[in-house]
Amino acid sequence: MPETEIIVHDILIVGAGLAGSWAAMVAAKQGVQDVAVLSKIHPLRSHSGAAQGGIAGALNNVRPVAGGGPDGPLEQIPAGDAPIDSVDLHVFDTIKGSDWLGDQDAIEIMCREAIDVLYEYEHMGCVFSRTPDGRIAQRRFGGHSTPRANYAADWTGHVLLHTIHEQALRHKVKFYNEWYCMDLIIEDNVCRGVVAMDVLQGKIYTMRAKAVLFGTGGYGRAYKITSNAFANTGDGVAIAYNAGIPLMDMEFVQFHPTGLYKHGILMSEACRGEGGYLLNNKHERFMERYAKGKMELAPRDLVSRSEQQEIDEGRGVEADGQGIWLDLRHLGREKIMERLPQVRELAIDFVGVDPIDGLVPIQPTAHYSMGGIAADADGQVIADLAGTPVVGFYAAGEAACISVHGANRLGTNSLLDASVFGRRAGYAMARFVQNGAALQPVSGDPAQRSRARVQALLDNPGTELVEDVAQDLKTTMTNNCGIFRDEARLQQAMREIKVLQARFKNARTMDKSSRFNTDLLATLEADHMLTFSEVIVAGALARQESRGAHSRTDFPQRDDDRWLVHTMAHKNGADGPQLSFKPVTIDYDKYPPQERKY
Amino acid sequence: MSNPSTHPTATVRIQRFNPETDAKPHMQEFQVELKPGVTVLDALHEIKTHQDGSLTFRRSCRHAICGSCAMHVNGKNELVCNAPLKDRLDRNGRITIRPLPYLPIIKDLVVDRSSFWEQYLRVKPWLMPPADTPEKEFRMSPEEVAALNSAETCIMCGACYSSCQIVGLTKEYIGPHALLKAFLRVMDPRDAIPGARLADLDGADGVYRCRTIFNCIDACPKNLNPTLAIETLRKLAQKREAFEQARIERQKHLDEPIPAR
Repeated sequence: MPETEIIVHDILIVGAGLAGSWAAMVAAKQGVQDVAVLSKIHPLRSHSGAAQGGIAGALNNVRPVAGGGPDGPLEQIPAGDAPIDSVDLHVFDTIKGSDWLGDQDAIEIMCREAIDVLYEYEHMGCVFSRTPDGRIAQRRFGGHSTPRANYAADWTGHVLLHTIHEQALRHKVKFYNEWYCMDLIIEDNVCRGVVAMDVLQGKIYTMRAKAVLFGTGGYGRAYKITSNAFANTGDGVAIAYNAGIPLMDMEFVQFHPTGLYKHGILMSEACRGEGGYLLNNKHERFMERYAKGKMELAPRDLVSRSEQQEIDEGRGVEADGQGIWLDLRHLGREKIMERLPQVRELAIDFVGVDPIDGLVPIQPTAHYSMGGIAADADGQVIADLAGTPVVGFYAAGEAACISVHGANRLGTNSLLDASVFGRRAGYAMARFVQNGAALQPVSGDPAQRSRARVQALLDNPGTELVEDVAQDLKTTMTNNCGIFRDEARLQQAMREIKVLQARFKNARTMDKSSRFNTDLLATLEADHMLTFSEVIVAGALARQESRGAHSRTDFPQRDDDRWLVHTMAHKNGADGPQLSFKPVTIDYDKYPPQERKY
Repeated sequence: MSNPSTHPTATVRIQRFNPETDAKPHMQEFQVELKPGVTVLDALHEIKTHQDGSLTFRRSCRHAICGSCAMHVNGKNELVCNAPLKDRLDRNGRITIRPLPYLPIIKDLVVDRSSFWEQYLRVKPWLMPPADTPEKEFRMSPEEVAALNSAETCIMCGACYSSCQIVGLTKEYIGPHALLKAFLRVMDPRDAIPGARLADLDGADGVYRCRTIFNCIDACPKNLNPTLAIETLRKLAQKREAFEQARIERQKHLDEPIPAR
């Protein structure tokens, strides 16, 4: 192969959101000379930047005013007063939120390191909102028993992303912007690099590295109504799966309760954290019937199910009855302008309603992928149930399943997960390289397969449009593998995915050029979505219980005897995923499984 | 689209150019259905996915936070993801979309933002904190934070940069986006090098290059005001030493609670 088409780095990171950027920044700061990041979009376009409401951490800056009730006012905790929050409480809330499917050792690490990560963000220049005495401001969030969502108005993800990208630049990380990862090079259980396309030129390169991290994000684009960016097509998850890496707990897809009606665009949970109501067509606060103790601030899986039940029973709003009202009017202009300025603009721009004086139509929207590439708390990817490491391969953020979110993620724990485990993976990769890891040889020309794949797609004269296949996938995933599931619908989804995979072989890429071919990228992305969607459905079919975001109407109870296990899916040739099941790490003395009630 | 439809159609005129095959840019017209709630980005997507897959543009978040999709629509720079199509049509039902001006075209509506990012790097966009960091957070008052809101919400979309006539004349100019970022750092009480920053911005390519044409303000999709930031930086540059001294004083108390008023 021509020398010019091989690129070599010590550490290569795919994806430049919070997880990837933290890993890169830390590794460079630890003294690894040659750290590179490649991203299919410019790093500042990453979807981490779209997160709005906050990042969790028990900083103990704020408490509810005594006697104010569950949605009453907050105040800063005066110096010397007892703390109300603790790492242990954050851990418990996260475990309960996960419906006991989260690994408790990893959750403890995340909640403990939250404190360091938050202060590090602050010291790096992140502009948080403040309490009157100058500490980081905190608000309430669903499923958290204290106000521990640390925020910057309602653009928290945006300021975190910009801060960490700036620091990565400061530490001289090299960026390959608008490069698309196509393949992982793994031989004998050792990762040797990736194959990637420079989108500008359309050229495909072998990129060798001692350590590779995937921080490639989630897979919400497989659904019709989603809060996710166009970019969130689960490429890394699909590429890893195709390379023989197991995916874990893929059936757990979070639906956020407040996506803008028809658009799916996120209206932050901070809307409810600041006191917003959810109303049905009778203008009832229906959450009273589903979670009297927490009302609108119950966890997302429960609130989305409640909304869907209201809709299914004919109490939805809008002409087709598929909406719910989000009512912020009682918060008043001043609070909305100060705390929720972005969501106000989104409501005005997309549904023509100013939340200061109007009801905002919303509906559940596919939001977050709890499942992903199986990895440990250092981001080390594992190959099997025994936890055998895939040497040199790491994953973090939404692409990974560590697992801290289990069956349902709490709001504000995603920015935290991406930050803590991106950071830890950065340290782990730096240790790995500095302890003498060598660049491993690669056999043959690893890029050849990707070049052939691209050529075949470009040469395909097919009669179908890729977009039509992708839309049909989203329709079946939404209708048959959405908030409520059952055997018959899941079987139908599986049948339809098989048909769609066959139809994809007859789909044509319209743009045949090499330069900046985003049509080709869309084709590759559709291929990836067809790949991992099958794994989601296989996991959902197998799991005959209801737990967290996975709700089977034919198996409505949680079943700890049979299903307190992680689903691991290996690719098994053309036969689809081979499932096996891994025990959950539980401290039975400290956090034994309980009934999950709010 | 030949299907009978109850929706009226819109004519979308788009500037096309692939430097590998085209001698120069040309305009091409497409028809799309004007369904309720459709954005300009939706129209581009409909064209790309069902009419001409080679039409090329950047987009990602579709709700005005990622900064990918700034374009030149009907003679004005804006994000297309939150722009309602019907509001952008002239009385003949037409909209005209071109790539951001003053920047090399990569393909169709995709421009080369290299000079934009080089200037961003040039101002050292990262915070330079004081040597001593407290165990917990640096204390900042809500007012100090509010003063930064007008810069921290910049999404680096390039709408201001490519509307600036000075940028059109010379890529040596730092530009409104990077000066706004510099403003963010200079104004942040945690930044330890405001004096050095102001000295850097004081040169011929910096704050004095701005001719206060205000195009950047008109172009900004987040309603920010780079001109005002540049104006502020000019004033601070005049009294750089006093400002530096005040910062040194402020930083002596960065780990102390903000006093109650």
